[in-house]
Amino acid sequence: MKLTANEISIAEYCRDFCLRSGADKVRVTLTKSLMDLTGILNGEIDKTARALDRSIQLAIFADGRFGTFSSNRLDKEGLEEFILKAISTVKMLEADPFRNLPAPERLAKDAASGNELELYDPHYESLESNWRRDFSLGTSIWARKESIENGFRIIAEEGEYSDSVFDSLTIDSQGLYARHMETSFEIGYEVTVEDKDGNRYSSYWWDASPLLKDLKAVDCAEKAALRAAAQIGPEGIGSGKYAVVVDAECASKLLTPVLNALGGYALQQKNSFLEGALEKKIFPEVLDIWDCPREKGQTGSRLFDSEGVGTRTAPIIEKGVVKQYFLNTYVAAKMGMEPTVEDATRVVVKPIGECKTADDLLAKVRDCIYVTGFNGGNSNTSTGNFSYGIEGFLVKDGKIVCPLREMLMTGDFITLWNSIFATADDARPCMSKLIPTLAFANVDISA
Amino acid sequence: MIYSKQYYLDIFKVDTATLDRLVQEGLSRGGNYCDIFFENTSYGSLLLRDGAVTSGGNHIDYGVGIRVLAGEKTGYAYSESTSPADMLSCAKAAARIADAPSEVSPYGTGSPSRGEPNPNADRYPMATPWGDLRMDSFLPFLSSLEARIREKDRRIVKITVSLAFQVSDILMYNSFRELKWDTRPMGSVSATAVFSQNGKTENKSTSRSFRTGAEMLSDSLADEIASEVVKGIDSRFEAIRPKGGKMPVVMGAGASGILLHEAMGHAFEADFNRKGTSIFSDKMGQRVCSSGINIIDDATIPGARGSLNYDDEGVPGQKTYMVEDGILTSYLHDRISAAHYGVKSTGNGRRESFRYAPLPRMRTTYMESGTARAEDLVSSVKKGIYVDEFSNGQVKIGEGDFTFFVKSGFLIENGRLTAPVKDINIIGNGPRALADIEGVADDLAIDPGAWTCGKEQSAPVSCGIPTVLIRELTVGGVK
Repeated sequence: MKLTANEISIAEYCRDFCLRSGADKVRVTLTKSLMDLTGILNGEIDKTARALDRSIQLAIFADGRFGTFSSNRLDKEGLEEFILKAISTVKMLEADPFRNLPAPERLAKDAASGNELELYDPHYESLESNWRRDFSLGTSIWARKESIENGFRIIAEEGEYSDSVFDSLTIDSQGLYARHMETSFEIGYEVTVEDKDGNRYSSYWWDASPLLKDLKAVDCAEKAALRAAAQIGPEGIGSGKYAVVVDAECASKLLTPVLNALGGYALQQKNSFLEGALEKKIFPEVLDIWDCPREKGQTGSRLFDSEGVGTRTAPIIEKGVVKQYFLNTYVAAKMGMEPTVEDATRVVVKPIGECKTADDLLAKVRDCIYVTGFNGGNSNTSTGNFSYGIEGFLVKDGKIVCPLREMLMTGDFITLWNSIFATADDARPCMSKLIPTLAFANVDISA
Repeated sequence: MIYSKQYYLDIFKVDTATLDRLVQEGLSRGGNYCDIFFENTSYGSLLLRDGAVTSGGNHIDYGVGIRVLAGEKTGYAYSESTSPADMLSCAKAAARIADAPSEVSPYGTGSPSRGEPNPNADRYPMATPWGDLRMDSFLPFLSSLEARIREKDRRIVKITVSLAFQVSDILMYNSFRELKWDTRPMGSVSATAVFSQNGKTENKSTSRSFRTGAEMLSDSLADEIASEVVKGIDSRFEAIRPKGGKMPVVMGAGASGILLHEAMGHAFEADFNRKGTSIFSDKMGQRVCSSGINIIDDATIPGARGSLNYDDEGVPGQKTYMVEDGILTSYLHDRISAAHYGVKSTGNGRRESFRYAPLPRMRTTYMESGTARAEDLVSSVKKGIYVDEFSNGQVKIGEGDFTFFVKSGFLIENGRLTAPVKDINIIGNGPRALADIEGVADDLAIDPGAWTCGKEQSAPVSCGIPTVLIRELTVGGVK
């Protein structure tokens, strides 16, 4: 299910036809994916789905104007008509001197086969529907739920296993040829439990990997059930300032807005609380956050961004200093700055301290609120203020005392990240943001 | 918009004999229901930023999804080609669901609507079809909207205005031999302004979205959006984070309806109840709130973003009372859950596109007006919060717990709105909040914004509510 030579020739034809038809420059991205999904409900197969997608995206530059277009109808005649209309549309827009392809020297030159990062698992090709069914059923705990139930009843178990292959090729009118190929194997369960009083609690667990051998599927449903059961008997606590430990599973909620604030569009539109922060020490000395996009076999790795610009390993925040804005060619030109990459690719928060696991960190912090999930809330991109619903546990003397509910965590991101004092070393490799469990001091909690 | 049957058959290059052949293949391994969903969607978009419309595009999405049901189990496959061979391959893949062991019971309650779609009953006719106009004909509207926004407030430093429109041609066929068709337009205009005052920055966005043609792009719409973008910005600069705690909350009419959608509506969707995961799964026929309160999900409001002539299973769009006089009277059903509960589908089987099997989804969800006056509800509160704009709501279906971010609102002190508040959360529990409704005003408003529900798939919806007083919710603020 990789891109075929014929499909690649369609992309090349589109590029050439655009140039023959009035475009000055063009970038063409061809994508193809196939996914098989098996759904489990209470120990039985509930659904199967097969999804095959192909589409072509065109970024067209003509007469100093720019537009983006896409279609999943890849017959040559239909594409010609589509391209002619697209170029006509581009020429109706207003001119924009900042639109351009990336400078050729910035383009990736090491993504020829698509599998340089070893994200394609050849075992994928041998998978059959019977294997998928048996594998999926084998991850269910429904038949042995009595052995897990301990003061609670499992009343619903819903899971999904999926495997997919994704292949993409990006070419442009100045010689770019960048291909990215990866397989993905994913498992996820949501389990609802009921306590002796009939109160219901639900939770989830999931795992994913580009390589089947690395997928941790066996204990997924049981983890979801135990996470749900752990919420039984929640108590309230008083509002105040607490030390807060945020589990690696959900810590990206606190980092993503910071990365967004370093994004070019937010900065250029003066809608970022990190405007003017480049090369300034905004965060604490202990904080190092890197973009590590070129790790072989690792979720989220990529050799090039959506413009075909080569990614590189580089600090985002180093010793508390903001080292990088994410500026594509267009935004950088508008801001009069040097372009970087469109976005962070595979973010790594470097561990702080000696703790390995979340339990180690809880033992170190001793008295805190241990946040294991977020429930709603939002942040203000202009000011950096946030308010999130949280769920988790009260921890005393390093031990979990009771689950908590109806709590809110509020503050602003700069203050929050300046209060970080330790982390574990337990980032989940199934995520594209590798963030360990984090410990913050003096966080406002409303309860 | 409803065109002739042949218009749709031509787009997808099919005839009824081919459709019957596909259904036959879908049921060949023992499935007991099959349906086919064709879609041809064309999108257009334009973006005005930094004073010029310098970005735009067109996009086409075309394909067919084939679903086979074996009892309550679903087999699904789709193709981006409607060639007979590709569609047959899909039907074969979907048919395999019947290989899994299942209790296959007679499926569904038969045909809810045997007739052909009636153009006279169309809920979203287009006076000016989007596809009839060139892209440059939309530029004056965007420029005019930007100018109107800019002239309203000198603190504005950036304005972004966008137009997105789409037209979806839909053809549906099923093993009851029902053939339905529909053309669904959608036009959305959104605007964001960034304001700067004394070194502080604030932003505000608003949108309007309707199932209609390009006739929606009027001067009055531009005026309305421009006024909305700058409305309340003084309050945002002055707004505080209030002291947190449990207190009465008055939800303003209109956009607060998103809380109804998230905290209650999802728990009424029949799939969550069929699977036993909803907190309302054992509450049918029981009182869930005070008498006099009616909660509705409605596909019949002309031009509303959530409206449908037919749902994505070919069931006619309709108005469904979920709560009537305070009693839970109906879940929101697709064909699977309707068969499970032995009732007729409520026409809530919806999907993001041909790539997805349908699920029970909301359309336009709202609470009917009550008899109180909004100002009386506010004046009855000694100390609480008035909220007129929520965002980023989230609910846990099993527990019913919800959290909503308050974009703007006011403190209520001694029955009067006082200091503006922002950037706080309200948390509560859906069933408890319903039971705690103490007053419903007579001012129902359906919000015209571009609301999109994200339950597994994206679906356009509308929401609304009259001003409502809830006895007690937790408000997150400073200590």
